[in-house]
Amino acid sequence: MKTRHVLIFVLPALVLYSLFVVYPLFDSLMLSFYSWKGVGPKIFVGLKNFKEMLFGSFSKEVFNAFFHNIYFFIVTATLELGLGFLIAFLLASKLRGAKLFRTVVYMPNMIPLVIVGFMWNLFLNPQIGLVNNFLKLIGLKSLARPWLGDPSTALLSIIMVNVWRHLGFYVLVILAAILNIPPDLIEAAYIDGASNRKIASKIVFPLVLPTFRTLLILLFIGSFNVFDMVYAMTGVQAGPFRKTDVLGTVFYRTAFGGLGSAFTDMGLGAAVTVFIFTIVMPLSILYVFLVERRERAW
Amino acid sequence: MVRFTRTGTILAYIFLTIYALIIIVPFTMMVMNSFKSMRELFLKPFSLPSTFKFDNFSKAWNFANIGVGYRNSLIVAGITVIIVVFLASMFAYMVSKYDFSFRRGVFLYTMLGLALPARLAVIPIFILLRNMNLTNSLTGLVLVYSSMNLPFSIFILKNFMDAVPNELCEAARIDGASVGYIYYKLILPLTKPALSIVAIVTFVNVWNDFFFPLILINDRSKATITLAVSMFFGEYSIQWSLLFAGLTLSIAPTVILFLVFSRFFIAGMTQGAIK
Repeated sequence: MKTRHVLIFVLPALVLYSLFVVYPLFDSLMLSFYSWKGVGPKIFVGLKNFKEMLFGSFSKEVFNAFFHNIYFFIVTATLELGLGFLIAFLLASKLRGAKLFRTVVYMPNMIPLVIVGFMWNLFLNPQIGLVNNFLKLIGLKSLARPWLGDPSTALLSIIMVNVWRHLGFYVLVILAAILNIPPDLIEAAYIDGASNRKIASKIVFPLVLPTFRTLLILLFIGSFNVFDMVYAMTGVQAGPFRKTDVLGTVFYRTAFGGLGSAFTDMGLGAAVTVFIFTIVMPLSILYVFLVERRERAW
Repeated sequence: MVRFTRTGTILAYIFLTIYALIIIVPFTMMVMNSFKSMRELFLKPFSLPSTFKFDNFSKAWNFANIGVGYRNSLIVAGITVIIVVFLASMFAYMVSKYDFSFRRGVFLYTMLGLALPARLAVIPIFILLRNMNLTNSLTGLVLVYSSMNLPFSIFILKNFMDAVPNELCEAARIDGASVGYIYYKLILPLTKPALSIVAIVTFVNVWNDFFFPLILINDRSKATITLAVSMFFGEYSIQWSLLFAGLTLSIAPTVILFLVFSRFFIAGMTQGAIK
């Protein structure tokens, strides 16, 4: 084995990855100690950005968004894993048309998030949106409201659209896990007279729990990556009154979208990414660890 | 296999049908409303269009630069897939089949990338590309996307290559095959299923991304499909029937492709995410 060969095969991927993934992440960390407008000189400010972000006037905006991310995670995880398990369990039977159904439920996943966001932006419009018109049609006019303009429903609407977009993925992953269970186990339980509820809770659920754990981590990481959907549905200003603001939009406004933001600075923006990074990193490492362990067992 | 009683089956069907409708109806509404005039859209949002206004589509196509968006997205996603498939498989081949110093370290170093959300590094990426004169260029996007998609692809491919018996490579080597020959004539053909997973996942990831074009591209002629639609929405925000037509056009190819090859896509995307 010659070193030359190793270099030829390994180096191209390694260089690209180091240059555009690893180096920028470290550089982000460095940048968070500076104040910089994107051009001109960088001024070293030490921990000032972090102080501003965690305790200063900027902290209100950051923590408002942070709690929205957490809320986003709790609601999506509950709905996506709960409904996902229920639907997957139904599909694990010999229902006719289950194949066609799989295609239908997966379809929204093929459409760019931002386009899904724009689509529902139109559907949820208070005057001519289809959702309100539909509610009028079935006699529930009192429920009609400006979904994205009403502070009490805006974030939840975005979350529901997000669930609409992703649920199919969770259904199919959980379904694959259920179909991996040895059929004899379920068969034996039926012979012993177990009900479907018992089978779901005592056999299927415990056996797909490892899949749930992986999905939960992915959901958590995903919840701190939210941006496209908010951008398309309530805009960079994350209206009404920042009620739909998430860390992704805070970061975008701070680093790139000067208009209407009191805080614009690349260094401060970098500090926001360091903040997100610190939250997401432990779970990301856990994810890699779980995946790696499964690989070794494989 | 789970079994249901007759009432159980009926309830399951009702539940699943409602869910399917919640997915299908919005798409149908979008397509139907893109044929209507503004007036009709206001007055009869749920009915079939009385006359089919096809010029909504031609207007939306032109105003939104859908054609340019398709072309750019196709170029960027296509080239990225080729780069990722080759670089990742070369890397995985070396790590899986040969022993060299730092082998495990180098592998774990790339696996770190599975955990790092590349978006968080967008400021330095932006500056790096600006210094290379590659902002507002498709090349810049290709470089970023290729790097981002490497860790996952390497992971999938290495797993797959580990399952290829070492004796096979050994036999080829004894027969005088070079390292490159074994890679090209033996490993690549044997790992085709994994290569197609990598290609599908990478393609869909790149096609669907909006964040990087939003930050790296500001020229209409360089916009990807997601950015083109977003610019269109900013400018024609009240011309609803045009907006619906634009949305329909922007997703039509993906939806059609997906309906034709659904099994292929679903297998690739779900296996890819969890393995």
